Amino acid sequence: MRIRAAVIVALLAFVLFGIPQLFSLYYVDTMTEVAVYSIVALGLGVLVGRVGLVSLGQVAVLAIGAWSAARLLFATTQPYPVVLIEAGLITMVAGVVIGLPALRLRGLYLALITLMLAGAITIVLDTINFPNGGRGFLGYNGGAITPPAIRLPSIAASDKAYFQYSVVVAIVMFLLVFAHIRTRPGRAWAAIRQSEPAALATGINVTLYKLWALALASFITGVAGGLLAGASHYLYSIDFPAQNSIILLGVVLMGGVYSMWGAVVAALLYQFLPALLQNWGVSADWLTILFGLGVLQVLTTAPAGLADQVPKDLARLGRLLRRRLARAPAPAGGDPP
Amino acid sequence: MPPWSDFEPFIVSGLALGGVYALSGVGLVVLYRATGVLYLAFGAVGAMGALVAWSLVQAGAPGWISWLVCIAVAALITLGYGLLFGPPLSKRDPLVKAVATLGLTLVLYGVMDLLWTTSGGEARSITLPTDNSGFTVASIQVNWTQVIGLAAGVVITAATGAFLRYTNLGTAMRAMANDREITATLGVPVRKVEAAAWLGCGVLAGVAGLLLADMVALDATTLTFLVVSSLAAVLIARLRSIALTFAAAIVIGLVHDLITPITSLTNYRDMTPFVLAAVALLVVSRRQVMSRSREEA
Amino acid sequence: MNRHRHAPSARILIAAAGVALAAAGCSSSSSSTSTTTSTPPPSATSAPAVAAVSTSQCGTKPGVAATGTPIALGGIVTNQPGTSFTDIANMANAYFACVNANGGINGHPIKYYIETEQTNPTQIAADARQLVDTDHVVGIVGNTSIIECAVDTPYWAKLGYYVIGSGIASQCWGTPNNITVNMGPRYSSDGAVQYAIAQHVSKIVFDQSNVPGTGYIAAGPNALAKAAGVPITDLTENVPISDADSVAIKEVDDAGPNGAVVLNFTPPEALVILKAAQTLNIEDHVKLWGCSTPCNTDFLAQSLGPKWNDKLFVNAELAPPDSTNTPTMNLYKAILKQYGKAVSGGIGSFSQMGFTEAEIAVHALESITSGTYTVATVNAAFKAVTNYNTGMLCQLWTFGNYPMHIANNEDYTVTPDNGKMVQAQGCTLISSVDPQIAAYRADAGTAALAPVAP
Repeated sequence: MRIRAAVIVALLAFVLFGIPQLFSLYYVDTMTEVAVYSIVALGLGVLVGRVGLVSLGQVAVLAIGAWSAARLLFATTQPYPVVLIEAGLITMVAGVVIGLPALRLRGLYLALITLMLAGAITIVLDTINFPNGGRGFLGYNGGAITPPAIRLPSIAASDKAYFQYSVVVAIVMFLLVFAHIRTRPGRAWAAIRQSEPAALATGINVTLYKLWALALASFITGVAGGLLAGASHYLYSIDFPAQNSIILLGVVLMGGVYSMWGAVVAALLYQFLPALLQNWGVSADWLTILFGLGVLQVLTTAPAGLADQVPKDLARLGRLLRRRLARAPAPAGGDPP
Repeated sequence: MPPWSDFEPFIVSGLALGGVYALSGVGLVVLYRATGVLYLAFGAVGAMGALVAWSLVQAGAPGWISWLVCIAVAALITLGYGLLFGPPLSKRDPLVKAVATLGLTLVLYGVMDLLWTTSGGEARSITLPTDNSGFTVASIQVNWTQVIGLAAGVVITAATGAFLRYTNLGTAMRAMANDREITATLGVPVRKVEAAAWLGCGVLAGVAGLLLADMVALDATTLTFLVVSSLAAVLIARLRSIALTFAAAIVIGLVHDLITPITSLTNYRDMTPFVLAAVALLVVSRRQVMSRSREEA
Repeated sequence: MNRHRHAPSARILIAAAGVALAAAGCSSSSSSTSTTTSTPPPSATSAPAVAAVSTSQCGTKPGVAATGTPIALGGIVTNQPGTSFTDIANMANAYFACVNANGGINGHPIKYYIETEQTNPTQIAADARQLVDTDHVVGIVGNTSIIECAVDTPYWAKLGYYVIGSGIASQCWGTPNNITVNMGPRYSSDGAVQYAIAQHVSKIVFDQSNVPGTGYIAAGPNALAKAAGVPITDLTENVPISDADSVAIKEVDDAGPNGAVVLNFTPPEALVILKAAQTLNIEDHVKLWGCSTPCNTDFLAQSLGPKWNDKLFVNAELAPPDSTNTPTMNLYKAILKQYGKAVSGGIGSFSQMGFTEAEIAVHALESITSGTYTVATVNAAFKAVTNYNTGMLCQLWTFGNYPMHIANNEDYTVTPDNGKMVQAQGCTLISSVDPQIAAYRADAGTAALAPVAP
């Protein structure tokens, strides 16, 4: 246990201080997005993995967070952490108000209703637009030729500092979720996932704890939206197409919904892998194809996702290699033709 | 509020749009009833077929060959998916089966954008011989493609309803969609029946793809995600009644287009399917909270 | 890369001998300094006919591959399903490849880095940093994106880059650090609207896709219509459009029998609206249809029937490739043929823009006499480009030291003619009734108006 904690601390230290030093700004910016989307994936992981609520609308929830944060950042001079919390709370309220009636549904119906609601939210955002420093409640000035950028925290105005800022916020969000999983809500969620009627029979308030999961997921996704607003400088409704929710669900399933590491894997798949492939000149279309195949693979053979599967596969590969090495010398290395 | 006469053409176009939603909505329900899978790749498969057909026409192939190829492409992809992923997912719940078809959707979507790029400002369209003739209602021309689209919805609704109810194959499909194992123990050739269901639905997706490519747009994104709007009708019918799906689709199309000329609402008109579906589902669900857990979970 | 290009270039050298004299409108020789006349000239068609053009003309040393230290340039283009501008960067790359095979820039080859993005602001910012920090580019050429100008302009300004691209966002025209060869949605829509007004329509319905900046775009057409006393209605549609029938009916009903519907959409979206009007048989219920520049593609002309001949009028920003027989146009086609395998759309506005941007950049680089190619020298050379004849635009092209740049503010109108787009009106200045055009002309003076010398 102590070793594990030490490994995690060392890893975080590397992420916080190593990445900004060793990586180019391109990857630092990309890793900022990874930090943001690891929170989004964590939220979706809580919903899917803990209480079995499959949401096909998380990108719309993220957009609500980003919208609220952008509006607050333009309208007020509040410090950034306050804005992030407010954006989280606004998103939480929106998520709960929308989700409360939907929680009566389950399974496929619930997933599809989230897709419907996300579609509706996307159209509202398309029409009202994201704030760009204009006046009024919506804060949008359609005629602006050079609208101002969304402000950054004064302590994190550079790309590298904002990356570190985002990672710290992400760590706080992970700890928040960790605290939930390790205490009563986590146990209640586990019971609900096992069997809803059984959980009900043991006196667990199923609706309350489902709503709690929804509130938690919406809150952290809203905070992530606030981080995204700063990282983006300018927000547009076209950044949040409804189909991205589908891809997001795909990578979260691939990463694995039962472990918190799955959220990090999902975010790396969703943001880092495209950046890497783009640098190699590979079309983004191949990634869409890869994600599609990944969803099929995960659903048919590895329901716990990559975070669970890869260590097992590596262990299996290790055993296989050891057996091979014991029997015969390793084949000479060489590039395939 | 514009005068009533301004709304008249929108009733006609609304019926046509309802026909568009009905075409994919009915297809989705038929597939769900026959295989137990909500086939969310329905639009992507149809788009793939239509784009292949477009390429054939560009290469000089006669129209009717390209239409047949469109249907064949959609049918083969669907059949292939069903044979490959049907059995391993057969015991999982409907939600997992539906999400798996999103995987197929993403694969097809990526392939289409690779093969039929828009990087040179390409704009494609499919024209059917029935496009440019028809009859005039409320000062606009209703073309035969739209009539065929609407009629196809009615015919598919009636024919598949009868097929599933009155034929042996149809009964076997319904039984299997409900419970694959019990059906198998009753001596039904599960694999064959399943293959027939997937093939039939693939044909349906191909026909719908061809008509939708003509009536909506020959564009991978549009056709792939048109399913999301069509799902509204499917949800209102709660994945069961084909006739109700059809009716809901028509209502959604009508409401959508009647909102179009109202200036203050026109930009929100695309919310129509989502809002109607959400309201319908939530109203229904108020009455039945946990009673349906077995069939849905 | 250069080593690979060596073999074909030897063959070109031989082929080039016969046509070496034809290089009239080519990159290195056409800066005319003073042009004061303001009448639009009889555009490209008056140039001497050229039978054949060799790609060896794109460099200063035909057939000699450049082997010096490379000059790094970069560009950021949108590439996502439904919206892809990669043809522009790929065509610029083709031009650079041609230059490299024929002497390069004073012996230095151009190394061109293309970054693609999917309309994600953080990714676009990361792309810019990749070009600067990792690829060490000294100039930005060929940027074409939905929102890149909005996201990166402060960054370019901070580092002293002056970007030659094409674009969509308002910042591509309204800032000191961006300049484009295209007009963008606003001024191209201006062109379509002013053509409609000149045809004495009684009303204009201006419909565009609901993307960032619709208010900024609509301000131009509204100013023009207001000044002419023609009522105008602004509409926006969510894309992708799945209800084109009702959109078309709404537009036609609103415009009335003597009115015009002017569209500002990507080619696929414009096509679904026009096709819906056609199948509804209501295209004749208005006097005419207008369209901003994206509609200027033969794809559209082919997909629509002959019903649209002289019914649809499309603002066109670049010289029509089919009917133009100038050295530049022939060079463009020759480069496209020899080096443009990655240009999926072939001949068309996108690749013409990429060609023009690369041509201007090469012209600027060739003007650097010191032999040092740094961010400072290269961008100073970009800014110094004055009255350059691109051979693709109605006007001579000037960067200049202005707070805003609308270097292309004079263009054509085309109409479908049985599957092709043909010219309906020659070079015409965009009206300075649009306050932005007026502001630019006030800043740039005669440079804003300089037509191509006959």
